[in-house]
Amino acid sequence: MQLMTDHNTMEMMICAAARQLEDGSSVAVGTGAPCAATMLAQKAYAPNLVIIFEAGGVAPLLPTMPISVGDSRTFYKAVMASGMCDVMETLQRGMVDYSFLGGAQIDMYGNLNSTVIGDWAHPKVRLPGSGGANDFGSFAWKIMVITPQDSRRFVEEVDFITTPGYLQGPGTREEAGLCRNSGPHKVITNMAVMGYDPESKRMRVESIHKGHSFGEVQENTGFELLQAPKVVETPEPTPAELRILREEVDPNRYIIGR
Amino acid sequence: MTHANERLFDHKAAREWKLKKTRAEKDKRMSLKDAVAEFVEDGDSLIETGFAYVRGPMAAYFEIGRQKKKDLVGIFTPGGISTVWHEFGGLEGAHVAYVGVEMRGLISPFRRGVEAGTLKVYSDWSHGALSLSLRAAEQGVNYVASKSMLGTDLMKSNPYIKEDRDPWTGEPVCLIPAMYPDLAIIHVHHADKYGNGRIWGAVVNDTAIAVAARKVVVTCERIVDSADIRSNPYQVIVPHYCVDAVCEVPYGAWPGDMPGLYYFDRRLQEKIVRTLWKTAEGTKEYYEKYIMGTRNQYEMLAMAAEDEGVNAIDYVKQLEQLACDAFCYGMGSWGVGGEREWKYEEVAKRLI
Repeated sequence: MQLMTDHNTMEMMICAAARQLEDGSSVAVGTGAPCAATMLAQKAYAPNLVIIFEAGGVAPLLPTMPISVGDSRTFYKAVMASGMCDVMETLQRGMVDYSFLGGAQIDMYGNLNSTVIGDWAHPKVRLPGSGGANDFGSFAWKIMVITPQDSRRFVEEVDFITTPGYLQGPGTREEAGLCRNSGPHKVITNMAVMGYDPESKRMRVESIHKGHSFGEVQENTGFELLQAPKVVETPEPTPAELRILREEVDPNRYIIGR
Repeated sequence: MTHANERLFDHKAAREWKLKKTRAEKDKRMSLKDAVAEFVEDGDSLIETGFAYVRGPMAAYFEIGRQKKKDLVGIFTPGGISTVWHEFGGLEGAHVAYVGVEMRGLISPFRRGVEAGTLKVYSDWSHGALSLSLRAAEQGVNYVASKSMLGTDLMKSNPYIKEDRDPWTGEPVCLIPAMYPDLAIIHVHHADKYGNGRIWGAVVNDTAIAVAARKVVVTCERIVDSADIRSNPYQVIVPHYCVDAVCEVPYGAWPGDMPGLYYFDRRLQEKIVRTLWKTAEGTKEYYEKYIMGTRNQYEMLAMAAEDEGVNAIDYVKQLEQLACDAFCYGMGSWGVGGEREWKYEEVAKRLI
């Protein structure tokens, strides 16, 4: 039998992400690992988390993991079953604290690409497109990304900016017309948790998961990473978190794997 | 004949089109076959409704495939189900906010078409921007201002939107024109014979789409008495004066999710998305077997049941029950009436 303290990489990422969400905050979320992290937070320590899905579900008490953001479960015991425009306008008004995003590419300023690899008009690879990512990244106060640490994903320059991070550096987000005091917040990978330097707005390593080193993180990143003044070890998942994650959030192990 | 894109933002013509719509309550029931034959025209812009595979009019999309409609232009916020017709001449281009099946993966025929240069992506949007474009149409105004897409390559690549300055503060804003698709098919839980449509679950963009699109076909799980709608009008998202045709199509969202009634047909969908669509040959097999090899939703359900060795209707109903204790939706009585192409008893007989 697996001990409740043993865990795999995905469980580590989900737990590290879940801890970023404090009780009483609001989060806009998609499916997959972000949804697992959000459900874990809601069940473990943030019962008053307002979860918002872009199809229109507002503040559901998620019973089991949705596989679509419009899924029947996304408005289970919700307070509203509204629509996409209402949700995006709620974000634009400044009511959403956090958002979780993914993408094929991310750069040092947290700009994300989920549209094309190569040229937009003649792409080498066509990706699904923005969906709600651009709006979430433009309007949530704090944007978080869960993604594997891989130098093909962490690139010097993204092929297409789908979702704005700190764009070209300090001040450029505001110059573009986006709200001040909003932007990329954390990046959670299989090796580390990264944040952003408050001055340069560049990605920096803040904590490293057990068994990994800064050198290894840097090696798997296509640009120069900064380091926070004090880089610590990422706290490991607790037995309580793992129990909830395995038994209540993802009992079929769709996300956390087998 | 103009290209669909030339009609898409023509707000004057779209307003004049409203003169053609019947305001009076008129019985608009017809078979899905007839509705698709009459209202889906080659070259139309078709906006997908619901949330792609959630409350999507799947049976209608299959019927479009069967009738070999040509050169449609898709609008996906989200969607992409109709991109599968591209390899068979059904879809020539797309306006895209999102094409995919979320954590279950990509819609490979879309990717193949775009990468080969045969399927044209006319514009990329965010969900927020495209839903605001529909909201502008709902408002009957030329455009709306937003902060979506600012500073990004979506802004630079999209030929329809403009960046301008807020006249008060001088701050950049994104101006989004009102969009009027040629055609929308909206699947609802209940509709009366006039087209007033009621749903459970998320609206997504459908209130705006219902009033923005030139032609609107409503498909429904059940036709209910109009008195039933009038006694509880609160969940109506489509008013009858927008609607051109009403079709009763039970299990019309299958193999997608119909909130409160049935869940995604996981087995079939996994097979389609992860295996069949991955290659052009697989997509052809899917098209020929499931779409062209059946005449309606009933026959497709039966085919799936035969393949999977499981009663597809029971399976998706049970999944929904497991997924979210479906009775929480507090659905009222189903009501009666209406003509449908096939009977439940027949389905049950074939599937068990």
